Amino acid sequence: MVKAQIKIQQMLFMLLAITLFFVLVGIFLLVLGSSGLKKSAIELQEKNALMLVTRLANSPEFSCEESFGSNKINCVDADKVIMLIQNSKKYDGFWGASNIIIRKIYPEIDGEIVCSLSNYPNCNIIKVYSENNDGADVSNFVTLCRKESSGGEYYDKCELAKMSVSYELR
Amino acid sequence: MISKKGYLDMSFSTIFAIIAGAFILFLAIYGSTKLLSTEQQVSDAKIAEEIGILLNPIEISYETGKVSSFSLPAETRIDCGCKEEGIFGTQLIRVSQKSFGKWSETDVNNDFKNKYIFAEQPVEGKKFYLFSKPFEFPFKIADLTYLTSSEKKYCFFDAPEDIEEELSSLKQENIHIKKCAENDVVVCFEGGVGCDIRVSYEAGYIQKDKETIYFEGNALMYAGIFSDAEVYECQLKRIMKRVGVLAQLYRDKANFVSQKGCDSNLNEDLMRLINAGNNFKSSSEINIVTGIAEDIDDKNKFARCGLW
Repeated sequence: MVKAQIKIQQMLFMLLAITLFFVLVGIFLLVLGSSGLKKSAIELQEKNALMLVTRLANSPEFSCEESFGSNKINCVDADKVIMLIQNSKKYDGFWGASNIIIRKIYPEIDGEIVCSLSNYPNCNIIKVYSENNDGADVSNFVTLCRKESSGGEYYDKCELAKMSVSYELR
Repeated sequence: MISKKGYLDMSFSTIFAIIAGAFILFLAIYGSTKLLSTEQQVSDAKIAEEIGILLNPIEISYETGKVSSFSLPAETRIDCGCKEEGIFGTQLIRVSQKSFGKWSETDVNNDFKNKYIFAEQPVEGKKFYLFSKPFEFPFKIADLTYLTSSEKKYCFFDAPEDIEEELSSLKQENIHIKKCAENDVVVCFEGGVGCDIRVSYEAGYIQKDKETIYFEGNALMYAGIFSDAEVYECQLKRIMKRVGVLAQLYRDKANFVSQKGCDSNLNEDLMRLINAGNNFKSSSEINIVTGIAEDIDDKNKFARCGLW
């Protein structure tokens, strides 16, 4: 009788061990899968940012179209973008990026002055869309054009800028 | 003496081991099936996201007229849905793949607010073609993308010369000009027999599956040809919403640059376009919005300070 009981106990322990083994293998696979998923999600975000930065300057919200002469590629209309900042809430999640920043690089201005309606165009950073400061970014060179006036006459002024698109590393 | 043991001479431990073993096996099989279906859903969602990202270079205006294609290893069903709600509406992409003769069941929709894909619901096959065209109304609104499967061939019969030239230059394998095969979807322009889709190019409407949809310009005409009426109407409403938002942006710009003495005098007309875009109900109203857009375009061309 005692021998049979010991055998049943042995069997129970064995079965418990097997079940535990399968559970552990399952958890391991799940962790492996989710880490792979996170990696591929970041890869997709990076790919999206890369592709986005090449086309963003030519999208209707940014592009110069023909307001500074003939249709230019990678030309950003600064007057339009400064107005876009006022409407940036509407564009929440529109581009799938966490930050879109245009940094004027030539001619140079001392320090970092973020553009607003009150200091434009005497500034060098246009924060079009800024969700948070974390994350990696990709950038592209663009021409930043605006209308300027002098002595009652207006003219087109174009400068060199860098457009950056950031994506979150979640 | 007759033995009291039954013919199934098994000890308790053996029976217990069989039952427990069967239970463990069942758990293992159930677990792997669940894992497999989750993996399938992940793969479907990944493909849908990849398709959305793939559209970015196609949408760059200077690449217009270039066809892009992608192939998938398994038979795939791409569902390009559309949602009107929100400031810009949403483009939905859902992918499901065939494995062991069964379509994977997925309710994972990848959504994009800045994309406009015109396709039949759903598009099935292994190889897919994409091309895009910018839509200007009167300023650039968006790039419209047309998605078709290599399994569905379109034949354009008696199309106007510029359409024929444009389609021929695409060199898209599933688009035929004039020489129609038996199973082709025949797209007729002003007449013809055995047509699946009829386009009244001058009048600006398309008749398809007993439904009539209205268009303005070639970009919307292709949209009507390559998509279902329901998708077309929904996407057109989304486009008109963007017309309204962009018109507001140009109105703000007009006010801003006018302070520098750069006047465009388009304020009132842009307001009309904003209202028309926001109150757009269906493609049958496209004529009204077109009238306003053309008016604005003429004024912008001759304005002292053009806005676009």
